[in-house]
Amino acid sequence: MRSKKILIALALVISLIFAACDYSGAGKDSRYNIWLVVKSTDTQFWLSTFAGANAAKAEYNVDLTIVGPDTEEDYEKQNEYIEQAVREGADAIVFSAISYSENAAAIDAAARAGVKVVVIDSDVDSVNVSARVGTDNVQAGRMTGSAVLDTDEEEIYVGIVNFAQGSRNGQEREQGLLESLDSDARVKDIYTINVAATPEAAELGVQNLIAEHPEINVLVGLNEPLAVGTARAVVDLGIEDEVRVVGFDTNPECIELMRDGAVSALIAQNPYAMGYLGVECAWKSLEGETFDPDTWIDTATTIITKENMFSQESQQALFSFG
Amino acid sequence: MNTVLLLALIGTVVLVLSSALILSIRTYQKSLVRSAATNSSRTVAQVSNTVNDYLAGIDGDMETLKETLEDPDVERKEFFDVFLKIRPDVAAVSTYDSTGELVNCYSLLGEVRPNLETNTSFDPGMMDKYADGYVSAPHVVSLFEGAYPWVVTMIAPLEAGSEESWIALDINCSNISAYINDVGIGQRGYCFLMDEDGNIVYHPQQQLIYSDLKSENIDLIETLGDGDHIEGSVIYTIQSVPDSRWQVVGVSYVQEMITDSVSELGRILLFAALVILVAMLIISSILSHALSRPVQSLAEAMTQFEENAEDFTYTPVGGVREVRTLSESFSHMVIRLQSLMGTVKDEQVNLRKTELRALQAQINPHFLYNTLDSISWMTERGKKDEVVEMVNALARLFRISISKGHELIPIRSEIQHAESYLQIQSHRYKNQFTYSFNVDEDCLDHLCNKITLQPIIENAIYHGINGLVDGGEIVVSVKGEGDDIIMTVEDNGNGMNEDQIAAIMNKERSDHTGIGIKNVNDRLKIYFGADYGIRIESVPDEGTKVIIRMPKVDRGSDYEK
Repeated sequence: MRSKKILIALALVISLIFAACDYSGAGKDSRYNIWLVVKSTDTQFWLSTFAGANAAKAEYNVDLTIVGPDTEEDYEKQNEYIEQAVREGADAIVFSAISYSENAAAIDAAARAGVKVVVIDSDVDSVNVSARVGTDNVQAGRMTGSAVLDTDEEEIYVGIVNFAQGSRNGQEREQGLLESLDSDARVKDIYTINVAATPEAAELGVQNLIAEHPEINVLVGLNEPLAVGTARAVVDLGIEDEVRVVGFDTNPECIELMRDGAVSALIAQNPYAMGYLGVECAWKSLEGETFDPDTWIDTATTIITKENMFSQESQQALFSFG
Repeated sequence: MNTVLLLALIGTVVLVLSSALILSIRTYQKSLVRSAATNSSRTVAQVSNTVNDYLAGIDGDMETLKETLEDPDVERKEFFDVFLKIRPDVAAVSTYDSTGELVNCYSLLGEVRPNLETNTSFDPGMMDKYADGYVSAPHVVSLFEGAYPWVVTMIAPLEAGSEESWIALDINCSNISAYINDVGIGQRGYCFLMDEDGNIVYHPQQQLIYSDLKSENIDLIETLGDGDHIEGSVIYTIQSVPDSRWQVVGVSYVQEMITDSVSELGRILLFAALVILVAMLIISSILSHALSRPVQSLAEAMTQFEENAEDFTYTPVGGVREVRTLSESFSHMVIRLQSLMGTVKDEQVNLRKTELRALQAQINPHFLYNTLDSISWMTERGKKDEVVEMVNALARLFRISISKGHELIPIRSEIQHAESYLQIQSHRYKNQFTYSFNVDEDCLDHLCNKITLQPIIENAIYHGINGLVDGGEIVVSVKGEGDDIIMTVEDNGNGMNEDQIAAIMNKERSDHTGIGIKNVNDRLKIYFGADYGIRIESVPDEGTKVIIRMPKVDRGSDYEK
């Protein structure tokens, strides 16, 4: 009877010691598995995003898988990647949607499977998103507008080169741009074309547009490949002196063309911050932190012009370190 | 063991332990901060030395380059091809004339672009300030097409007289990473390189800083001189790199080190408290097991014994030797007391029996006198036969009363005794009543207490029939009922109310002679137990029924002791 009691007490003490050891050794040994699914993998914009994501990967000690389709139109491939990520046990997906509507079902399915979703850059029509990180695209559109209007011309004819109509980003940038153009009486006419998000498609589109509306004196390319294509078309046509080009993002070709004078302004987003913050938010969500998914975590946007491109601030926005 | 005492003990131990721990944490904290600062200065000094060595190397290179450039006989192209290959940290070497125009540029990054409007590598305006040369803030190289490495530019004057007045060496910032990146101070501490204008030359997380995702408190750091500075939870250690415009800044966190140690100590405290608690519980359980529990159970046993001594059984308790002895003594005491009580009870019963026997032996002198008086009258009147009958009945009455001293007699004899009595009394009362017997033959051989029926019949006559003018009737019946025998004496006399019944059942006879109903009842209960005895049912003016219950007894020796 008494020895039984002592045995019980001994067991209690031993279990307590184990509990204490367990407590002191608290911490995870399994790392989170995070997938970054983006729109394509070869533009400067996405390369910077990956660099940011990798910095966060190192900082937060997570496993990071980066995938994206070959073209910025292939939302079906993105859906396949999302399904693959769920199959391969992703804890969180950091996602930039090609299509606001067509990627929604796959994202909802992933969320149902218990995967946290963080949107970067381009939104998706889902209530299952934990956090949204990216440019305030309407504001970026307004900045584009102010770059367009920064001229001595008496009459302004604007040609807008936008990408696929399904994309939320393109619509919002266009909306902001139109808002700011509407406020200026010098703007006489605005022509918009929608093309695939490749330099080639934009180049062809711009050539046709200029042929149709030779009065155009400002061209706007609303993302990186479109800016490149637009600038190329202007150079091809030899109208750099008559037509100003306002573009998006910091493609090396655009930077050279800006130095040559063919591009007058670039709206530089902060893809590095998007990649970094996207992974950081995913990690924080997995750790139980909550974000307001309806409020975008804004990453800074700067206007780069030929005049200010080598200012300290612009250097930092344009050229990645190391 | 007393819970309050136990809690107080635990409380004291925890209090002493925690105050000791808090004191030691304080001391520990101070020494931790000191050692952290020392550790930080040592690391930062080391970094400063390596950066200094690196810069000295660059200075050496610069001298070589200057000599080479000033020597018109050297084939520059070949020289720079080799130089740039073995020094990948040099992005470009360029020379400028006295107006700041680019003269020559040597680089593996490509040709200088045609329309070079901006050259970040050389600022003629600065040359007035730094005639002996200087090291620029970090910037990108703008000389080439498609290549924009981040560099610091080292500028030095060339000997006057030639076309080239200045030489500029663009040094890749990322090459400095080797001296900075892997330097850790504490768990999260790091260091970075800053120039005297507050520009970060190299930071392990430079791109995060450029993307506005991280920042250093440059404004604060600029105000601090060389040495260790504890600002809130951050230790800044600043060390200037000798002969340069650069400073190495070490950043480490007091908080994390202190918090970690405090929580570690907290864990130890918690663990110690738990161990003490468990130990206390074990000790208290052992003490209670050995001491207080047995004493308590002994006390409970005593209370129980007090309440019901007769049916009490005691099992001795365990525990320490003293308690065991106490318990065993109590056990002996209980047994002894119970046996004493048994003896006393037996003696009382015997005494009672003896008393009853003595009473039975007595004959009511009134009855005897009245009977003899009747016999005398009969003799005078010459009623010879009746006299004989009376005397015989009287003789039978006495013989059965004596019954050789046995208390239990066959029911047959008891019936004869009752009949004899009724014969005598019916003469006495001049046939005022009739009587009859209704006896089950099977019951006759069983035994019963002698003189059981007579007192009841006597009561029926004196109190029931006596008042009636005639027509009195007494019925005596005996029958078996299971293992019991039921005798009843019914009369149709005056009957009794509840009070009278209670009086008869509870009072000894007032004349102290003969046997009353209470007496019969007592005897039955003493001999056979509480389940047996007399019950009276009576309705005033209608009659009385006295019911006697007793067991079927075949051997008197079972009850006669």
